[in-house]
Amino acid sequence: MTLTSEPSTHDPSELLSPASVERRRDVVRQASRSSLRRRRLLGNATRAVCYVALCIALVPLAALVGYTVDRGVQGLSWGFFTQVPAPYGVPGGGIANAIVGTLIIVGLAAVMAIPVGLAVALFLVERRGRVAAAIRFVADVMSGIPSIAIGIYAYALIVVPLGPSGYAGITGSFALAVLMVPIIVRADEVAMRAVPDDLWDAALALGARRSRVARSVVLRNALPGIVTGNLLGVARAVGETAPLLFTIFGSQFLETNPFKPMQAMPLTIYTDGTQADAHLQSVAWATALVLLVFVLVLSIGARTIASYATRHAR
Amino acid sequence: MLDSPLTRTTGSDGGEIAVTLEHVTVTYGRQENAKQVAVRDVNLELPRNQVTALLGPSGCGKTTILRSINRMHDHTTGRVSGVIRVGDLDIYARDTQPELVRTRVGMVFQRPNLFPTLSIFDNVVAGLRLNHVKKRAFLLEAAEAALRQAALWDSVKDRLGLPAVRLSGGQQQRLCIARALAVEPEVLLLDEPCSALDPMASAHIEELIVQLSSHLTIALVTHNLFQATRISDRTAVFLLGDENVGKLVETGPTTEIFASPKDPRTEAYVSGHIG
Amino acid sequence: MVHSVGIVTSGGPGAESEAGTRPAGSTSFERRGHVAALIAHRHRRPGGRVYTALRWGGVLIFVAVVVSLVVSLVWQAAPAFRHSGFSFIFSGTWDPDTEKFGAGVFIVDTLLTTGLGLLMAIPVGIATAVALSEFLPRRLAGPLSTAIDLLAAVPSIVVGLWALLILVPVFERDVEPFLQKIPLVRHLFTGEDLGTGILLASVVLAVMMLPTMVALTRVALRGVSVADREAALALGGTQWQVVRRAVIPGARSGIEAAITLAMGRALGEAIAVSLVIGGGVSLPHSLLDTGTTLGSAVVNFFSESSGIQRSAVIGLVVVLLAFTAVANIGGQLLIRPRRSRGYERAEPEEVAPTGEGAPA
Repeated sequence: MTLTSEPSTHDPSELLSPASVERRRDVVRQASRSSLRRRRLLGNATRAVCYVALCIALVPLAALVGYTVDRGVQGLSWGFFTQVPAPYGVPGGGIANAIVGTLIIVGLAAVMAIPVGLAVALFLVERRGRVAAAIRFVADVMSGIPSIAIGIYAYALIVVPLGPSGYAGITGSFALAVLMVPIIVRADEVAMRAVPDDLWDAALALGARRSRVARSVVLRNALPGIVTGNLLGVARAVGETAPLLFTIFGSQFLETNPFKPMQAMPLTIYTDGTQADAHLQSVAWATALVLLVFVLVLSIGARTIASYATRHAR
Repeated sequence: MLDSPLTRTTGSDGGEIAVTLEHVTVTYGRQENAKQVAVRDVNLELPRNQVTALLGPSGCGKTTILRSINRMHDHTTGRVSGVIRVGDLDIYARDTQPELVRTRVGMVFQRPNLFPTLSIFDNVVAGLRLNHVKKRAFLLEAAEAALRQAALWDSVKDRLGLPAVRLSGGQQQRLCIARALAVEPEVLLLDEPCSALDPMASAHIEELIVQLSSHLTIALVTHNLFQATRISDRTAVFLLGDENVGKLVETGPTTEIFASPKDPRTEAYVSGHIG
Repeated sequence: MVHSVGIVTSGGPGAESEAGTRPAGSTSFERRGHVAALIAHRHRRPGGRVYTALRWGGVLIFVAVVVSLVVSLVWQAAPAFRHSGFSFIFSGTWDPDTEKFGAGVFIVDTLLTTGLGLLMAIPVGIATAVALSEFLPRRLAGPLSTAIDLLAAVPSIVVGLWALLILVPVFERDVEPFLQKIPLVRHLFTGEDLGTGILLASVVLAVMMLPTMVALTRVALRGVSVADREAALALGGTQWQVVRRAVIPGARSGIEAAITLAMGRALGEAIAVSLVIGGGVSLPHSLLDTGTTLGSAVVNFFSESSGIQRSAVIGLVVVLLAFTAVANIGGQLLIRPRRSRGYERAEPEEVAPTGEGAPA
């Protein structure tokens, strides 16, 4: 909007005379009063719309959890947790192989990812400059990489050169670790940077070098945040399917050797849920319930630690 | 220490009072039993078309009292008890609409808080638009009037469409004043308006305040004694009382407060012994 | 009290050094640090050199992985790119038998599902965030926000299972016939009611994007300073006017970042989409048609493929990476400059009245 082209047609002294002030004041008061009802009404209507949106947002959550619990509970039993899948057509059986597989695969992934993530985070906290900025940028972009791409990458890196013996639990662990590292890096860095400045200052004032400070002082204070970040990374990894699809191959048997093909819960859900068989679908629901509980417990645990730590800071 | 005040006309309406505060106490806090009293039992009158300074060290309740006059505590955990009248309107009465109070009582804040996405013109008339004043001719007139009063018209009249954030700090604050003026309030509340500005810009604002007081009732919160002596007609001194609660210690014409204060605490404060 | 923490990295040695020893060749500054540390804590301290080596090791591993990811994927996809040239991106034909591979349909379906998903998730997400941060009392807003955040933690396979087994029948039986009856709009919804298809996939993506939208928008809204709100309030605005005129414009860059990040997640979602989108490989004429996105194509085609087809599938992965990288980088750039806008000045001095130039 160009306003320069309109010359002032007002005589300044007239503009500011008490009469003009009075006139303008009346106009404003009048408009203010008469519009208030409409403005309030509009506000109430918009608020109602926002509340409706809130309900809409909660519906999927309720439906998801509700159906999963409802259908999943039906398939749970002691045998479900302790037995391996029954042959096709035979009732019964369970997902012990998937549960054990998930625990081993995710466990190994954590062992790979947590130290690397911590190392990169320490690097980012201790060093400044362009290298650090570049690495941080890369980590942030990596956190958005589709997990299917990571799965294909693990396949290309390990299964292609090694052939069928590349299908193994640990291949899946590698893929999951690649997924977890950016999450852990970001959480660790944030946790370390959140350490109060005066802690840094005090330690530095003692003559300690920046990296030494980072290690001893900051790490201890950032520990809850770091643990939280690790837990969130693990929670994310537990539920991922795509990195495992082309790497662990799956197995109907209980396998504890990570260098062999293994089963995992997301894989069970994927393969069984897509069958037109009612029993297999029921297994899929029950596995989904177990997985959901796993993930929620880890996520809530992470949050609890985080809020506990902020409340009891220092 | 007392400079003669800048040129100003004494209030034309003699002794008329624009705003009265009777036994006003402001408390904070979420829990019913854990409420903190910020300032207690304030009785204050703001004479029409004069500048009243609310003076005192930080944390003594002067800003709290200022904000109670335009009901800014409504959206916080603050609770205001007592009676505050603007003209004959009891602003905390049950059937009084806070939005209407705020069109009669304007406020300028410590740091310029222009709407960053809007142009200069849109900022000035923002208050009018919020109150659903739409006619373009009127907006232009009100904008010019407000900007002239804020001594900004000549600087910006050719660039009203520029983003408001391009102005300097002092100009931004004057734009905030213009924005408040465009709504034609009767009372203007200023909360340490110069604290974020350099001395040059501060001086301009002080000049402005004196000029505005010829037709506006002004309440000015400041912790700068010199500023109070320079531009205010009356001064209300706030100090920390018992239990760390703010208290209005003394009110009076500015010259008297500084030359011959009645309360020993006031004396201690204006002579620099405390605060 | 400050204690030193020995870092345990994959069982590395050298986490302790004897109290009192100093690394050879240290400067006096370092020695002071050592002495201070000795005084402050009487425990073992990590050896400086080992620590640095381990730290660098981690960084190098990370960088090596990232580099090898890009390289190996591009390398494996190269044959297909050489085979098809530019038509890989634009051609709509995906026919393994004639060895014609074009990502066109998959790109269209990806953009379509993500776009529709955004269309649903953005308004609902922003309105929900406004409700949570501006309207609801704190006591309710907290748990409800947490609930919505936890929706983000639900694994995509569980969402996919639920969509496949619960939503598909509902769509097939109720939703799609209903949509086909609405005048005007029904022309978007021609074709068979299968339940699966682009529409359902878009809904699933919207559900998965919603928590991100809500969480990030809430952060953006809360980030608007009190001063900005007070400005609108003091001029006589109602609560909603304050939100609309001061808060939402102030949160705009955060909201834009939320949208880009949500979009990035939707683009990359393969598993849940593959379960409900149906798998058609021709251009869609209706929102009820089945389709295939880049991600679901990989899921569907990878196992059975070999040779040039497999290379083409990996080519799809590369295309997908390009898309998500663009969306992610866009989001990062929007989040990064921590709103220093508002009170920046072009000139520090008074703006002198000149007659120059028309304002923007």
